Amino acid sequence: MATVTLNNVSKSYGTLEVIDNLNLQVEDGTFTVFVGPSGCGKSTLLRMIAGLEPITKGDLVIDGRRVNEADPIERGVAMVFQNYALYPHMTVEQNIGFSLRMAGLEKSDIDARVAIAAQTLQIEPLLKRKPAQLSGGQRQRVAIGRAIVRDPEVFLFDEPLSNLDAELRVSMRVEIAKLHNKLGSTMIYVTHDQTEAMTLADKIVVMRDGKIEQSGSPDDLYDNPDNLFVAGFIGSPRMNFLRADLTATGPRLVAGPTLSMAGLPSQGEVLVGVRPEHFLLGGGDASVAVKVDVVENLGGTRYLYGATISGENVVVEVRDRPGIKAGDTVHVGIDPVRSMIFRATGERLRQGH
Amino acid sequence: MIGRVPNWIVWVVGIIACIWVIPIIGIVVTSVRPPADVTLGWWRLDNIRFTLDAWMRVWDEYPLANAFWTTLWITLIGTGATMLLTPAAAYAFHFLKFPFRRTILVIIINAFVLPVQVVVIPLFQLWRDTGLIDNILAVLIPYVGLSFAWSIFLVKNFMEDFPKELIEAGKIDGCGPLATFWFVVLPNSLSAIFAVGILQFLWCWNSLLLPMLYLRTTIPLPVLLTRVSGTYDLNWDLRSVAAIVTTIVPLFVFLIFQRQFAAGSQTRTGAKE
Ligand SMILES: Nc1ncnc2c1ncn2[C@@H]1O[C@H](COP(=O)(O)OP(=O)(O)OP(=O)(O)O)[C@@H](O)[C@H]1O
Ligand SMILES: [Mg+2]
Repeated sequence: MATVTLNNVSKSYGTLEVIDNLNLQVEDGTFTVFVGPSGCGKSTLLRMIAGLEPITKGDLVIDGRRVNEADPIERGVAMVFQNYALYPHMTVEQNIGFSLRMAGLEKSDIDARVAIAAQTLQIEPLLKRKPAQLSGGQRQRVAIGRAIVRDPEVFLFDEPLSNLDAELRVSMRVEIAKLHNKLGSTMIYVTHDQTEAMTLADKIVVMRDGKIEQSGSPDDLYDNPDNLFVAGFIGSPRMNFLRADLTATGPRLVAGPTLSMAGLPSQGEVLVGVRPEHFLLGGGDASVAVKVDVVENLGGTRYLYGATISGENVVVEVRDRPGIKAGDTVHVGIDPVRSMIFRATGERLRQGH
Repeated sequence: MIGRVPNWIVWVVGIIACIWVIPIIGIVVTSVRPPADVTLGWWRLDNIRFTLDAWMRVWDEYPLANAFWTTLWITLIGTGATMLLTPAAAYAFHFLKFPFRRTILVIIINAFVLPVQVVVIPLFQLWRDTGLIDNILAVLIPYVGLSFAWSIFLVKNFMEDFPKELIEAGKIDGCGPLATFWFVVLPNSLSAIFAVGILQFLWCWNSLLLPMLYLRTTIPLPVLLTRVSGTYDLNWDLRSVAAIVTTIVPLFVFLIFQRQFAAGSQTRTGAKE
């Protein structure tokens, strides 16, 4: 087990700066997830930790030791690749045992440890097969087996589930969570699926353009995003943003009402962020008319997709069955306590600051 | 659905194949008929007698057996060295970083445009000064060296498609560059390496110019063949036997390993296709 610390780490390809002066502390035994839009540098950062990509500037410290120049094996990291990267010419058994063989272990030790890994992942019947004879989910298990057999300090996952179908993705997600509970190792996981991030993570690191926008527990990020980007990125369906102008008593929505909020600046254009489940159907002090275009019925909950009179698209979550149809106009209340105010530049405005 | 091949194609291909096979039948027939009977052509039927006389005599009159072993030996070493060194070089050029990588590669590949004839004289002087004349190294070194031009090119091209993640997985699993090459790259490049091996085998086996110039006592088959046919005797039967012995091995090598040419790359990483 180990802590991973990044101190002022940068990475550039020629003149292209991909990771920009990044600081991060990954605590021992935690499950940390990097999320962010495509191309924001998640994979690059993970590969730098793995030792597959040289670090341009800054220090990478694993377990108190600076390992910028160390080989992956000396760093004690194991990695699971997005497309599995199993050796096609080796059986499952040989694939899993390969790192041990390279480490010079006895055949009997290798077999014993491969057997334990196979048992953990329930792939014992597959040990004699070649990767080409496995399904996607089985290949993924083998890839994970190859990582756990070494008993590494740090596990690195780069979008390990993105090649699987939706159902398998959910069940593998649960298994990875179980695996983390069982092994208690430090795990760093890259995904751009924010559901995966929310369900797996002890700590989510939201990245954009090579920088960390915010990091914290899933609840922290959900309840208390620091900026517009994180607010919009975390949560599904995403947060609604309504245009408003600040007044002395609070933001006045372009769509109509004024929210009474104290302690804000009294001027400027802002966006009011409201999560779909925080709208109050049919009531509240400040309510907005929403014309419903589509009703999405998920059984327990439904999502109303529609637009305000001022043209903002909104999604409203409804729990009971109010009999709302497409084409109806509903009035949804906005609770000032659960609304978040952002400047157009993205920065969050908090009351009393 | 694959349509049926039209009949005329079958006929055309069949006729071409027959035309191609006729000379082979010719030398086989010539080798088992007395030379006097075939002076007007091996297909003449006026006097039909068969004899294995030539097949017996040629071994005594010419060092055919020795030449056979020499050829086999030189060819195997030359082919083996190429099959091992070429993928190593291609791997280094493709996956490792070292100074002057591109320049060196361009120089090696450019040897392509250099015909063997051009290097014959300078090499002869070099071997004479280093005392390598009549040593099989005098032909082995250029065999392997000259083949680098096309073989590295071929294997490196194959590696363009080699999944980078496999190399990275090897790195994560604790392989250095050599172990990665040996355990990961080599086993997954067999089709390319075999293709190079077959071409190199045929080239080494049939090579005439270099051994003729650099070897004196231990000579390979093609050189011996020129000696057999260089006499003024009426020895068509002996020439035929020597020719058959010379070509039989490459023929079999080609027949046995031709599948390797067709075999596709086996380097799918196991991602779902
Ligand atoms: N070898 C390279 N040379 C130049 N630029 C690169 C290289 N590898 C990555 N990049 C650039 O670095 C940036 C970050 O890439 P990275 O692969 O880390 O993104 P990512 O966050 O993993 O995206 P995704 O979610 O699509 O996997 C991208 O803009 C990419 O174009
Ligand atoms: Mg990526």
